[in-house]
Amino acid sequence: MKVSHKDRITTPQAVIVLINYILAAGILTLPRTSVEKVKTPDVWLSVIIGGLIAIIAGIIMVKLSQQFPEKTIYQYSQVLVGKWLGGLLSLLIVGYFFTLAAYEVRTLAEVTGFFLLEGTPIWAIIMPFMWVGLYLVLDGINPIARLFEIIFPITVVIFLLVTFMGFEIFEIDNLRPVLGLGLFPVLKGIKTTVLAFLGPEIMLLLTAFMQKPHKATKVILVGIGIPMIFYIITVIMVIGALSIDGVVLRTWPTLDLIRSFEIQGLIFERFESMLLVIWIMQIFSTFTITYYAASLGLSQIFKMKMNPILYGLLFIIYVIALIPKNINDLFKFGDLIGNAALVLFGVLPLLLLVISKIKGGKT
Amino acid sequence: MKRRKIEIKLSKQQQQTRQIEKQPETAAVPFSGNITIDLDQIRKELGHNSDVGFREFYLGNTGIRAAIIFLYGLTDKELINKYILKSLMVNFSERHEHREVSLKEFITNQALSISDLTEVNNLHDTVSKILTGNTALLVDGIREIIILGTTKEKARNIEEPVSEALVRGPRIGFTETLSDNTAILRQQGCNHNLSIIQIQVGERSKKELVIAFINDIADPALVDEVIKRIKTINIDDLPESGYVEQLIEDNYLSPFPQVQNTERPDRVFSALMEGRIAILLDGSPFALIVPVTFSMLLQSPEDYYERWIPGSLIRLLRFLAAFLSLFAPSMYIAFISFHPGLIPTKLALSIISSREGVPFPALIEALIMEISIEILREAGLRLPKPIGPAMGIVGGLIIGEAAVQAGIISPIMVIVVSLTAISSFAIPQYSAGITLRILRFVAMFCAAMFGLYGIILFFLILCSHLVKLKSFGVPYVSPAVPYRISDWKDFILRMPLFMMKRRPKMLDTKDSIRKG
Repeated sequence: MKVSHKDRITTPQAVIVLINYILAAGILTLPRTSVEKVKTPDVWLSVIIGGLIAIIAGIIMVKLSQQFPEKTIYQYSQVLVGKWLGGLLSLLIVGYFFTLAAYEVRTLAEVTGFFLLEGTPIWAIIMPFMWVGLYLVLDGINPIARLFEIIFPITVVIFLLVTFMGFEIFEIDNLRPVLGLGLFPVLKGIKTTVLAFLGPEIMLLLTAFMQKPHKATKVILVGIGIPMIFYIITVIMVIGALSIDGVVLRTWPTLDLIRSFEIQGLIFERFESMLLVIWIMQIFSTFTITYYAASLGLSQIFKMKMNPILYGLLFIIYVIALIPKNINDLFKFGDLIGNAALVLFGVLPLLLLVISKIKGGKT
Repeated sequence: MKRRKIEIKLSKQQQQTRQIEKQPETAAVPFSGNITIDLDQIRKELGHNSDVGFREFYLGNTGIRAAIIFLYGLTDKELINKYILKSLMVNFSERHEHREVSLKEFITNQALSISDLTEVNNLHDTVSKILTGNTALLVDGIREIIILGTTKEKARNIEEPVSEALVRGPRIGFTETLSDNTAILRQQGCNHNLSIIQIQVGERSKKELVIAFINDIADPALVDEVIKRIKTINIDDLPESGYVEQLIEDNYLSPFPQVQNTERPDRVFSALMEGRIAILLDGSPFALIVPVTFSMLLQSPEDYYERWIPGSLIRLLRFLAAFLSLFAPSMYIAFISFHPGLIPTKLALSIISSREGVPFPALIEALIMEISIEILREAGLRLPKPIGPAMGIVGGLIIGEAAVQAGIISPIMVIVVSLTAISSFAIPQYSAGITLRILRFVAMFCAAMFGLYGIILFFLILCSHLVKLKSFGVPYVSPAVPYRISDWKDFILRMPLFMMKRRPKMLDTKDSIRKG
């Protein structure tokens, strides 16, 4: 089952998909999770290092995928390490994708339930959201990429607008001293920040859909670079405004930043609704792409049609999304997914790449 | 279900038998050359119609019998009298005596001074020609029937298009006559590459349909696709180009128009110059343009006739208007009933105090006003012209004012609804305006269920639908996505003309550079 011609996406589209995938829950929580670990205002350094690590991991995955043109990881892993082992690996990746989808959906439900729809049951928030996602995914990768292209500029404009309005309460002193306690605390935060860059793994599939797969490395550089800028801006603005002590106390520090200032004389005095709008869109994009990636995996492993899998998977994601009992459970759940990702996409692609080089050398 | 299938089967059989019956009388009956027999044949077919005229006469004083058959009203009587009957009856004999060619050649080449002349030799063609206003000439001893183009079209004058008024731009609109319309198009752009291809559509009543495109610009694959889709039209009759639109569009479930209709020749021609294709149907003043993209629905030819700064700003204004007409009432509902905390406190207080005493929730309040304004608009269309404005005043001003006074509706709601209504009129395409009107109600229900979250979901599903939609192979949302920076010069902004050197890339044109 080769990728049909009409399902091709352009290089900018691949970049946009990657950016939209990376930007998700992290925007709201990254300042807190990273400050908890680092405990100094040098978090932005950890973000940069984390981004660089993600870029390296991404390049490894791209190099691996480029060895097998027009094939996704689900297809070439079976060629590489045998049918059973490859199948198992693919299943693990599929499992990762739909668990992540469920996690994103649940995070959405928590935030929306807290800020916008108090008292609305979680299922009522999740279900329409997932249906909309299903409607989009039914037609394959191309509409997904196009939708992301619509969402992306809206995100950039509103995000920059909203965060830079926070300059009113920004205090540079909150960010000082730079490296006051040396480099060591910065390193402690790296694991957290790397996890904020979850997303390059989509290139294991996406490279197969690209019109020009040789440009995939560029996609990684730009596609991780832009979220890195977003994250740095977020972290600096949030810590600058709320100080590290304030950040740790708040569940969703970025939203609190936006809530903590009011600008008189505009139609809106408070802008957290705007931030929530783009954030929900970003969650939607992460949800749809992971959902699509998982369904594509199942359909390629078991050589089945996409549509029945999509419907079936929707239910499974729904059930998983309802498993965490409260928000702390949810964050633990997130950590679990993060650890799985580190193993699946930090270590395995390198191994596979080495295997493919050895095998390629032999023949 | 079963019965229906049987019915379909039956009708198929009937069709087949009909076709079998049809064949002998249509194609195969040649004329005998004996005027009595041939005339009888035609009489049998047409004689019962009161508007068909049979006129028998002799060619000059040669004694050869001849007859003309024509349709009263559709034919030009003066032409028939002066150039057909006169030259065949009065001026015939003298020249006829000196002729050196056969009778038929003499008649067609020397006697008749008529530009449009064809010969047919079967009944079916003859009848259909007569019914479209041609005159059939039968001469004893000639097997073929000579068809003379004497059609006098019943046409109205060319007027300014009613549905698309402009301050600046040509004051010329299409009419119901196809030949006039193609002529206008030729006149608009004197270009030898303008191809006008005619196709006949309709099973029972044959209508002429024309596909126009610029030969060395339009993508041949697109032209083929349009022709292919038009050939699949299988319907009795096409009264208006709206029928064609509905029969060739990509997705009949979508609320968005996938074919643009316009009365303006200048609009059609500039679309042709971009590499699009126009479809004109006889009997309809609305030309269709394909493929269409969402941004086209928010553009007006005036954007290009004005200088680029006002053009761009007005276009921005229209995008804003489209946004407002789609989302204003739903935002009102969401903020009032779900998130009063998100709007400025003073505004929230003033809205809430003005809503005091309103017995309905925001959704019902909005629905009452929206539906009544839709009714008002619909009624305004049907009213005779002199009464229209008066009813508008009664409906809009008095009822609105009274509703506020009575405490059923809050004044803010009246403002929101009128803003929405006016915004939807700012959209240059009537059909796009209707789409937004429909979707507005969907947005209102989403907002009533989930507040701002509902609006976001609505926006996402709307975008999901739009990115899936295609019009003749071109993504509906292009040029917005997939990103094509060069096409963005003519998207939200209208850049200076000298910068728009390229035709839209999405159309895959043969010649991508605009000359000059």
